[in-house]
Amino acid sequence: MSDGLRMAVLIKQVPDTSSATGVNPDGTVDRARAKKMINPFDKFALQKAIEVRNARGGEIFVISMGPPPAIAVLHEALEYGADKGYLLGDRRLAASDTLATAYALYKAVLYLKDIDIIFTGLQTTDGDTAQTGPQIAERMGVPQISYCETMEIEGKTVKATRIIDGGVQRLEVEMPVLITVANSAVKLEHKRFANVYKTKQALRDKDALADKIFTVDLDEVEADATRVGLVGSPTVVGKTWKIGEKGGSCKVFKGAAPKHEVELLVDEISKDERGVMEFVL
Amino acid sequence: MSQYTNIIVIADQIQGDLRPVTMELLGAASELAEKLGVKTHAIVMGSQISHIPEVLIHNGADEVYVVDQPELKEYSTLTYRRAAITVIESLPKPPHIILCGATTLGRDLAPRIAAYFETGLTADCTELDIGDYVHKGKADPNKTGTFNNCLYAIRPSFGESLKARILGPWKNPQMATARTGAMIPFKTDTTRTGKITPMTVKFEDSDFRLKVIETVREVSSDLDLLKAKVIVSGGFGLGGPEGFEVVRDLASAFSESAVGSSRKAVDSGWIPYSHQVGQTGKTVRPRLYIALGISGAIQHRVGMSNSAMILAVNKDESAPIFQFAHYGIVGDLFEIAPLLKEQFKQAVPA
Repeated sequence: MSDGLRMAVLIKQVPDTSSATGVNPDGTVDRARAKKMINPFDKFALQKAIEVRNARGGEIFVISMGPPPAIAVLHEALEYGADKGYLLGDRRLAASDTLATAYALYKAVLYLKDIDIIFTGLQTTDGDTAQTGPQIAERMGVPQISYCETMEIEGKTVKATRIIDGGVQRLEVEMPVLITVANSAVKLEHKRFANVYKTKQALRDKDALADKIFTVDLDEVEADATRVGLVGSPTVVGKTWKIGEKGGSCKVFKGAAPKHEVELLVDEISKDERGVMEFVL
Repeated sequence: MSQYTNIIVIADQIQGDLRPVTMELLGAASELAEKLGVKTHAIVMGSQISHIPEVLIHNGADEVYVVDQPELKEYSTLTYRRAAITVIESLPKPPHIILCGATTLGRDLAPRIAAYFETGLTADCTELDIGDYVHKGKADPNKTGTFNNCLYAIRPSFGESLKARILGPWKNPQMATARTGAMIPFKTDTTRTGKITPMTVKFEDSDFRLKVIETVREVSSDLDLLKAKVIVSGGFGLGGPEGFEVVRDLASAFSESAVGSSRKAVDSGWIPYSHQVGQTGKTVRPRLYIALGISGAIQHRVGMSNSAMILAVNKDESAPIFQFAHYGIVGDLFEIAPLLKEQFKQAVPA
């Protein structure tokens, strides 16, 4: 469709920390062993793009940056209803921080040419910075609507609301624009059976996906390799340590009749030097 | 004079009111500035904000750059970006450090400023410090070296119970955002004096591509979670929206109290997002935090673990919350909460 919108949705594969696999007893994650999933926040972004396309026409290009196994999230995105998936995969991308990641993804979006709307989730569950979206917008020189809750499209105008601390803002902007989609913006739908079936079928026959899933490297998207990876990242993780467990210091009341336990507990709290009884009405 | 340049705090104000995070950042910045032997500067942007610079000075700023123009009445990414960048570029040398609140404003603005200056930004820090760093990189030999007095931006790594120290000593400004409630505010001193520097920003047409049609603020009858002395929070254990009746009822037994919630309860649609405490919600530090039916996953914990006293009610004895609460009671919250209310009231002479 010639007047349809060209939309990019940026998604990431993250470790599934709710799964026991690959999560060490001390709470750290063994990234190699951990089960992987599509970043939950990104599903809202993808769903929003699908809603827009279904109402307005257009094409959805999903981009993910990651190692070869991350192609799984692109397959999943097709199952949800995306049109095409691009894996930006290149060894030189390893250890990119948010600034370097934003540079690489910006190049990937440019590679797709004439994108009207870039959708991202609010943040990822592993990096958790919420920075990459706005940094891509900065590099592209386009406005962003972060924490976007509702949006309407008229021609190439987006009318949207964004959540701010203590309220909402109504905004209007001409495309191109980057939108980070709030979880409250859409109701997640299940994968459509027909899409799942098509993708599963296609996966058996690699050629059938050849016009839907693409792997591109830094050279293809014309990215400068010195601006990504360890070399191109202005930050490093210097040191990590476990968040101190205050284990054992909690005074737990249990076993006896609830009324009795509550009496003992409140008695104890009333003697506690942290003094909270002054707030009891 | 110190060999380092100054620290800048980007103030967060809404309609002439400074947000608490700004005072907290000024507190943190003053400590860092003392270690470096430099000054704490602040940038404040808005319209009709002539009363604000003085407040910033009373709360720790040594110099305030003020951009007071009608275009900045309401926050908009591109106009505030232009104003902040104009001020920073007007300085003779890049600041050593720039700090910003991890509010919806800071999270929208700070990444763009960092990308513009091609510098590092660490999000949602819970601690900030100054220290040395030795980089021994084989993969990036150009970066190898010993760096003195860098910003230590310390943040929890969510989903893992780890804290990480993030460094970016190669380029100034070194940037970080911090969430409300994470740092200790500067002790207000109304006799403090400082320099106020008005600045004028020339906007470009393209800065108005994003039009703010309207800004609507909720008039909330609930006491702000960030100001409450007692917070009673409910989680998935409430079983449904009606479970919050129990939470509200217990909260009503305390003055200066507010109702909080875990993310699961918000995602389930039981209570509005404004009540959410934790990683993707608010960071609070009340005198008493009562958690009803909240398991205490790391995402919730990082938002409330600075509370002076934590009391947990949960039927599952192995729930992680019992590892960091001060008091716990194992049992059915629907039975325990009304008993708690009664007992607290009894314990205080009328």
